[in-house]
Amino acid sequence: MNLVMLSFIVMGVAAVLLSGVMITRRWPVSAAMVLISVMTLLAGMFGLLDAHFAAVSQIIVYAGAIMVVFVFVIMLLNLPPEELRYGGVTVGEMILSAAGVAVALVLGTKVGQGYLSVGIEELGILKSENSLALHRPLFGPDQNVKNVAATMFVEYLWAFELISFLIIAAMIGSVVIAKKRSAENANAA
Amino acid sequence: MLTLPELGLYFSFLMFLVGLAGVMFRKNILFMMLSVEILLNAANLAFVSASRLTNTMDGQVVMFFVMAVAACEAAVGLALIISLYRTKASIEVDDLKALRG
Repeated sequence: MNLVMLSFIVMGVAAVLLSGVMITRRWPVSAAMVLISVMTLLAGMFGLLDAHFAAVSQIIVYAGAIMVVFVFVIMLLNLPPEELRYGGVTVGEMILSAAGVAVALVLGTKVGQGYLSVGIEELGILKSENSLALHRPLFGPDQNVKNVAATMFVEYLWAFELISFLIIAAMIGSVVIAKKRSAENANAA
Repeated sequence: MLTLPELGLYFSFLMFLVGLAGVMFRKNILFMMLSVEILLNAANLAFVSASRLTNTMDGQVVMFFVMAVAACEAAVGLALIISLYRTKASIEVDDLKALRG
């Protein structure tokens, strides 16, 4: 067990445990702060997996931009403490939810077992001349940004352009949904 | 002995289970959306681990697309929460019964 493996395991265990801490918080702001630490731990794991650009953008985009939006909305709502109660989950809902999580557990375990019994080498991804093999890194493992760019702007160019349409649609949609309706109600009345 | 990306896949599985439990057991829409962020992060970890496992770049590129979709989802979902809280004065899912069948 080398140092990389040890720190990866420590960060992974901490991320899973802090996820559990997050879903049991009562106050939304502390949950958001715990979630930021989970995302930072994931950024470290991405870095250990040689995905350096993913690690940096995980911190900048996720822990920075998206969580700022969350905290901003939490502050904007300014929920009273009685809105933040835990309860309300009936026994039937509890059983159904536990059954759903159990189904996910079984499915994930089966997929993992299937992977372990076959192995990635025997799936033929690395050796064969199929299309996946064409996406091998072009510039070597220490040039992650170049590799990401070469894949994103060649193989996934159309998906990249379509994502920009999605972002514009989401931007317009969120403004339309969240704007105050009082002006048009006054006009209608 | 497991390799690093295999361990990443297992951690992503565990994180996904925790996030799924959060979506299912919490009744507050804000917490449900935060749990959805955990789900998306777990999926991202799986994508990056698979990228390392297969020695391809596709997983990392898809991870950026997931990140963009997560940003859109957070923007629209939080706008919906603001709109709901303005009309219903509550963000508990039990109080939102207008579409109950």
